[in-house]
Amino acid sequence: MELVVSQLLTGLSIASILMLVALGLAIIYGVTGVINLAHGEFVMLGAYCAWFLQTQLGLGLIASLVPIFIILALFGWIIEALVIRHLYARPLDTILATWGIGVMAQQAVRLTAGGELRYVEMPAALASSVNIFGATESAYRLFILGLALSLFALTWYIYRHTSFGLKLRAITQNRDIASSFGINSARVYRSTFAYGAGIAGLAGALVSPLKSVSPEMGTTYVVDAFMVVVLGGAQSLFGTVASSGILGELTGFLAFHSNDTIAKALVLLAIVILIRFRPQGLFSARVRS
Amino acid sequence: MLLTGKSAQQTLLYLAFCIAILLVPLFLDDAFLLNKYSRYLVFAMLAVALSLSWGYAGILNLGQATTFGLGSYCMAMALKLGTVPVHTGSEGLPDFMVWNNVTELPWFWAPFHSTTFALVAGILVPATFAALLGWFMFRGRVTGVYAAIITLAAMVVVNLVIIDQQRFTGGFNGITDLAQFEVAGLSFDAYSSSTYYLVALCLSAVLFLSLAITRSKTGMILQAIRDQEDRVRFFGYDVALYKIFIFAVSAGIAGLAGMLYTIVMEFASPTFLGVPLSLSVVIWVAVGGRQSLLGAALGALIVTGVQGALSESETFLESWMLIMGGLFVLTVLFLPKGIAGAFEMLTARFQRQPAGQPATAAKPGGEAITHGEGA
Repeated sequence: MELVVSQLLTGLSIASILMLVALGLAIIYGVTGVINLAHGEFVMLGAYCAWFLQTQLGLGLIASLVPIFIILALFGWIIEALVIRHLYARPLDTILATWGIGVMAQQAVRLTAGGELRYVEMPAALASSVNIFGATESAYRLFILGLALSLFALTWYIYRHTSFGLKLRAITQNRDIASSFGINSARVYRSTFAYGAGIAGLAGALVSPLKSVSPEMGTTYVVDAFMVVVLGGAQSLFGTVASSGILGELTGFLAFHSNDTIAKALVLLAIVILIRFRPQGLFSARVRS
Repeated sequence: MLLTGKSAQQTLLYLAFCIAILLVPLFLDDAFLLNKYSRYLVFAMLAVALSLSWGYAGILNLGQATTFGLGSYCMAMALKLGTVPVHTGSEGLPDFMVWNNVTELPWFWAPFHSTTFALVAGILVPATFAALLGWFMFRGRVTGVYAAIITLAAMVVVNLVIIDQQRFTGGFNGITDLAQFEVAGLSFDAYSSSTYYLVALCLSAVLFLSLAITRSKTGMILQAIRDQEDRVRFFGYDVALYKIFIFAVSAGIAGLAGMLYTIVMEFASPTFLGVPLSLSVVIWVAVGGRQSLLGAALGALIVTGVQGALSESETFLESWMLIMGGLFVLTVLFLPKGIAGAFEMLTARFQRQPAGQPATAAKPGGEAITHGEGA
């Protein structure tokens, strides 16, 4: 029992981080069709913002979450205005352009903050661990899980129950017709990109106390996040949650029985096989053909 | 058709390039520089491989380095077994195997005692790997972005396995301390003109082979598939078969490039099939022009050359990656057909012919995902 619960918790912890990173990616890809390879760098920038705010301005991690969201959303806004908006007609080229942006972001951070590893301190209030059915789990990881779920709920609420979300869904179905009904699709796209970038920044800030912060940290996240989006189906927000849950638990389970590397390889292999038979993802309903 | 037709002009251009790279050692007597230029030529070959699959068939392979790395490891295994026993531990075992308590040479290492086997394997192993992956993807009609992601994931898997199986692959350190490559009584020192000639000759052969493929009927059908896959299918062609073919050929060329890279660098490492190299190849091809084999090769030479020069100079030591990234974004935005596309446009204007398509025309393959239609 204790072992099962502790296994489940490990999986959930991996899943919550996956979900935080993948949520922004899923929104951007689902709405605009842009393959954002710079997403990992958005995560990295979020982590560096957390480090900067903590060491230079003495701001705690929790207090700096809102400023970090705003900074990264602004960054995403600018990137969209400068580069991405010219590429909506060429989806494959967005892969190339965003990767170039990622390289620049990495190098810019290396030049300004240095290439060495940085560490962010965990909020003192959450440094303890909690006992659940005999298994112990760090309070901070549970906090991430809670926050990831609330962010998802917020996104879902915006998507389903606000007029902005309505416009978003209209554009996703057919951009031209939505535009002819007076929806400013360029502005909706830009806001979407900014929102996705902001969430990526939050993800980076939240993982920063768990892992060391380095300019290269984004690369590992972006591949994993893509797998989540592909598995869940790009059009489905619930798919993103479900597939991060599945991938998290699966990685945790396999890692327990072999090692981390083999677990990761097996999970990737499983996803590759899945794309072959269900390219639309596990949870995506067929909208139109 | 005495050197007037467009295709004859193209052939001449390719020939001029090959002669130019073959003449370099006559004017250059610096072993270090020759080694560096051989490396650039290997990258050019890798770029040609990607141009075949991406530019001519519309398959964006984000895992081109997988097949490059497989070829490189095949060669490294053969060269490792060729080292004198002092370096290879007891009973001819490679040193890293001794350190990892392996007592017997694994079965898949044994055939690499033969150089011929290694040369064949260096091309066939990557080609078979690509054919299997291609069969898997293209029979299931996976296209566009999903194909790109599958190739990327496959590369990460292979990379992880190689690093994990340290006992058989040297793990994170790769396979180092290799013998010199010898074939038919010739030996190739990495720091000499002989290796440079080997690489340059292979690149010339690959360029003309690829040119022949793109001009053949198969090449035409592949370009049609790139532009309108469904229409070609409705004509009754087996689209998947053509795609698998070009994917495997591209992998075989990348494997050859990998083998040469091991000869030039004198080691093999898991970074040869890493994400950074793979994405760099995409950059070279995009900058040079994905729909031109020579353009792709020149793109690789220019980008790696500039990269080498910038990273060695004092002022740009820190910022060359920033500059490269910026240049790349600008290329994607303003020169979607790369340098070759810009060159074509300029010559068209120069000859006062009506300039065909503007360089900013919609990209083939760009319509691979029609967004918002539920996949």
